[in-house]
Amino acid sequence: MSTLTLYMQYIVNGLTLGAIYSLIALGYTMVYGILKFINFAHGDILMVGAFIGLLIYNGLTGGEAADPGAWTLIAFFIAMIISMIACALLGMLIERIAYKPLRNANRLAPLLSAIGVSFILSNGAAWIFGTQSRRFPYPFNNEPIHIGAITITPHQIVVIVVSVIMMVLLTSFVSKTRMGKAMRAASLDQSTSMLMGINVNRVISLTFAIGSALAAVGGILASFDFRVYPSMGTMTGLKAFVAAVIGGIGNIQGAMIGGVLLGILEAVGAPLLHIPNGMRDTVAFAVLIIVLLVKPDGILGKNEREKV
Amino acid sequence: MRKAIALLLVAFVCLAGVVAGGSGEGGSGDTYKIGFIGPLTGDNANYGIRCSNAARLAIDEINAAGGIDGKQLELIAEDSEGTVDKALASYEKLAYMDEVCAIIGPVFTSPALAVAQRCQEDGIVMVSPSATHKDVTAQPATNPDGLNYVFRTVPSDALQSEVAGHYFYEVLGYRNLASLYAMNDYSQGLALGMKETFEALGGKVVAEETCMVGDKDFRTQLTQIKAANPEAVYIPNYTVEDAQILEQAAQLGLNVRFLSSDGFSDPEIYNLAPDFTDGVIYVGPAQAEASSLLADFQAAYAAAYNGDAPDSFATNSYDAT
Repeated sequence: MSTLTLYMQYIVNGLTLGAIYSLIALGYTMVYGILKFINFAHGDILMVGAFIGLLIYNGLTGGEAADPGAWTLIAFFIAMIISMIACALLGMLIERIAYKPLRNANRLAPLLSAIGVSFILSNGAAWIFGTQSRRFPYPFNNEPIHIGAITITPHQIVVIVVSVIMMVLLTSFVSKTRMGKAMRAASLDQSTSMLMGINVNRVISLTFAIGSALAAVGGILASFDFRVYPSMGTMTGLKAFVAAVIGGIGNIQGAMIGGVLLGILEAVGAPLLHIPNGMRDTVAFAVLIIVLLVKPDGILGKNEREKV
Repeated sequence: MRKAIALLLVAFVCLAGVVAGGSGEGGSGDTYKIGFIGPLTGDNANYGIRCSNAARLAIDEINAAGGIDGKQLELIAEDSEGTVDKALASYEKLAYMDEVCAIIGPVFTSPALAVAQRCQEDGIVMVSPSATHKDVTAQPATNPDGLNYVFRTVPSDALQSEVAGHYFYEVLGYRNLASLYAMNDYSQGLALGMKETFEALGGKVVAEETCMVGDKDFRTQLTQIKAANPEAVYIPNYTVEDAQILEQAAQLGLNVRFLSSDGFSDPEIYNLAPDFTDGVIYVGPAQAEASSLLADFQAAYAAAYNGDAPDSFATNSYDAT
């Protein structure tokens, strides 16, 4: 295998990982854009989404025993939609109970509240489902496809395609619809948008709903590779948060670029620098520090100066 | 015979505890308390639950036979989740609150390394059923004479990896191997030990890749291994990582034989990677030359725990108790 194909293989693998980070990073970035607050429970919503998806899918098909076919694909689609709706409701509920009452409090208060919610969700899941990893069976035939010396699995293609669809939908929603316009206005200036007659509370609820639904998709897509377990959101959520910061937190395109970049960095970084792969996270986080030193607002972040 | 040894060991263990712990500490009242430390929850819960079940079984048998010196044994199991800090917290509870005279475990190597040191200092006997690292009972840096309160019933990784190296080279006839191991005391100890033996015999480890415990994506490592074109890959890790490695290797078209270690004996692997375990060879402690005691143990274990079959961890745990 030549070095070129080797690196192309790394990039294919990194792209899959990155697409999942992007989907999850969108939730962090959208909430930050409007509320200037990091929703640390976002990673755990992803976990809830994966569990709901798995339970519904297994309920519909009988799980591992089912042969992949049209029915398993339909069941997977149903499981994904229900999981998205459930997570959207959960996201709105969490915002209503744990964050809204603190909106005018000290900036640390909602942050701590988010960490609390994160623990409640992951420990709650551990209590209900147990702490073991569960396998999400492939709803389609996952025989690897060989293109030259490069190998790609149908799962990887699905991850990339679904992520791209979700991102296109989100982008056109935010840029074309009235509600999207309201979101952009609220992220620029909340009180002015309120004066202009925008229902900011509704905008915020919607932001949480969309972010959480995307997290559910990310969680389900990740669970084929990562397995489903109560603490699955912790590291994945953290990585997605890093992706959002690298891309420029608060910026939707930035989150997408940051996620893909982080995924590829993780896959390529260690072999490129000839350091052991056990150090891949070190590489990813070192890049975060460098990005922050060079461009504190992230790749697509606006370089705004505080007015004196 | 083995039972006799086990009983002797327990007797010795408790005696040592009493002598070391001062006036009757750990033996207060009518019971001797024995602690257990292992992962009872989390991804590695299977290892710990089987070990504690086996220990409990052994203790029940000893109690049914009249206990030791007329005193009954009591097992207090604590959850380490397989981590060092939780294991140390468990140790402190067992040693200072429950005042146990002996500890079975910790199950995993890294926690065992940490707890062994404390047991030695406090004079509590520790018998690990499964901590393989050669330093668990030696820790030469701080204790040149070895840890005389610390025992184990599993061969050290020095032995296991040497056997693995010889087996891969001589019996399986491999000359080029790759290894992919987690950066923890258990996996690293095995991988490095196997490499030493294997290369001393004339073989070559053509790719040596590492990962972190808890990693989920091994594609970069496996791609590198595939490029190095080994005859087989040695993966001396715990179940969750090994399951992912096997599945992703199949997806990347890395179709060589996989070799593993005693960590692979946890049957959970068949749930996590059902189709990918075929043809994996793992080196573990042989299950005692068809002794009737082993058969008795397996039957008793199955009867006591709903037909669940004990793995090599559980078997060793029974011995330890």
